[in-house]
Amino acid sequence: MKNRLQYALYALDALENSARAATPLHRLDARSKLLTTVVFLTTMLSVPLAQLSEILLYALFPLLTASMGGLRYDTIFRRSLYVVPFAALIGMFNIFCDREPALRLGALVVSEGWIAFLAILLRGLLSVQALLVLIGSTGFFGLCRGLQRLGVPHLFTVQLLFVYRYLYVLLDEALRLSWAREARSFGRRALPLPVWGTLVAQLLVRTCDRAERIHRAMLARGFTGRLPDCGSMRTRWGRADTLFLAGWSAALLLARLTGPVETLTRLLP
Amino acid sequence: MSDALVSPTVAAVAGAASLLLLGTAIRKLRPRAGMHADPAANERIVPLMGVTGAFVFAAQMINFAVPGTGSSGHIVGGILLAAVLGPWAALLTLASVIVLQCLLFADGGFLALGCNLFNMAVLSCLVAYPLVFRPLMRPDASPARIFTASLLASVVGLQLGALAVTVETEASGITALPFGRFLLFMLPIHLAIGIGEGLATGAVLCAVRRYRPELLAGQPADKGLRKSLTVIALAALLVGGSFSWLASSQPDGLEWSIERTAGVAEIEAAPDEAHRAATALQERTAALPDYGTSTAGLVGCGILLLAAWGGTRLVRIRRRQA
Repeated sequence: MKNRLQYALYALDALENSARAATPLHRLDARSKLLTTVVFLTTMLSVPLAQLSEILLYALFPLLTASMGGLRYDTIFRRSLYVVPFAALIGMFNIFCDREPALRLGALVVSEGWIAFLAILLRGLLSVQALLVLIGSTGFFGLCRGLQRLGVPHLFTVQLLFVYRYLYVLLDEALRLSWAREARSFGRRALPLPVWGTLVAQLLVRTCDRAERIHRAMLARGFTGRLPDCGSMRTRWGRADTLFLAGWSAALLLARLTGPVETLTRLLP
Repeated sequence: MSDALVSPTVAAVAGAASLLLLGTAIRKLRPRAGMHADPAANERIVPLMGVTGAFVFAAQMINFAVPGTGSSGHIVGGILLAAVLGPWAALLTLASVIVLQCLLFADGGFLALGCNLFNMAVLSCLVAYPLVFRPLMRPDASPARIFTASLLASVVGLQLGALAVTVETEASGITALPFGRFLLFMLPIHLAIGIGEGLATGAVLCAVRRYRPELLAGQPADKGLRKSLTVIALAALLVGGSFSWLASSQPDGLEWSIERTAGVAEIEAAPDEAHRAATALQERTAALPDYGTSTAGLVGCGILLLAAWGGTRLVRIRRRQA
């Protein structure tokens, strides 16, 4: 239990750190990266499951953008592996349901079900990798600003920023509670339900008290129900942003519409 | 739900539905300039939602022992939030938690965000809470009543969520499993999860009432909400019920209904699998015939990727030396 809370704190720190670098990808406007990621996800996820080799081609996107942002692809790959169990759970039915042979690797006949299974895994991995590159090169504040400038309502982005701000505080508080409990429980790991209920209720009550204090502090500083826009750290939409968005969109759409991998293999003798 | 399980079309539909409801929630909660009835309550909700969002985030990371199994679980927190904040504020708060989990830890897909918001936040805060939890709760409820209400509400919320996941996955053409059998797989798992969630929610609410009963007292009943939600829920139950009835009574029920709604009579795929219908539709809209996968394609693509990876490594090493 303490591991998950601590892990979350570490991950938040790592995110802040990796977002602070200065690479060509980091310098792009958040909106450009967000929209390009959406184009990538839409094209990649619309490829039929049977076309495994085409989906594999889309791995170039996280690979190349990670390199552009100075992020290590092997770290991103490792972090994306956590989707495997869930995707495999749903995908494994295809193995049993769809046994028609699809292709031959030497003596091994691969069924359509296996192709679909692998395609589902690959979809999961690639979408998470693209998202990790986006997050790692933009950071949370950048993403929030990007979302706001793409038209997400003010109240919601304020809510996101608020949660992010107090995430550190509450993770710390939860960590303290769980340490206190652990010091008295002789190494038993998970909490029995009644103890858990009391602990979380404590946290909830403290949270509401904290909200009350924050509200008073905000009132004392002239809060009227709206937060001022965070204007200072704005980035401009530049030529690089247009180029990034247009270039990748064209490449991805072309790959989706022509199916280059299988088209090229048809040309082989 | 991960991006791996949705098609762009399904993601867009679920996204539109979630956006619509989130927009409604924002309109209800936005501090109105001309309103003098209770301005304090309206602006107070902003920090309260923010901090409780962070609370849910932290609480999801504290596992509890599932009685009798030796494993452990965590809560989602929809009913818990709704009991403290009211349904609309809870919807917005839980939505922010789900969006943050996606944007901070890449947890749950970005394209599947609309599905996840609908399955986890909308169904528990806007359907299970007002229809199951509120009618069962009283201001002076006994612990047993609190437990019953949270148990039933959580089970209903998660069963609806499982139904939604099944519908979305089938409509995306991801699984080869027929609708009815997939539902038979999903519902029992989520029944267990729902019972765990319900017991955990009950435990927290009982303890909160012991420490600070006024936190649970003050949600004014929203009559308009309940009425419109009853209609929505009845419609959803009707649609869901007829879907599962069709799916179980005749294996090609879903396909039959897709044919009916799409107005396409001759879908050329094998008739007894819903996903084939969806793939067939997808192929029709695709610009090019699908080729499937060949060994040569896989090998060639693999070589290309290895070369690209090697290239990026070289760039990296070069950059470090510079």
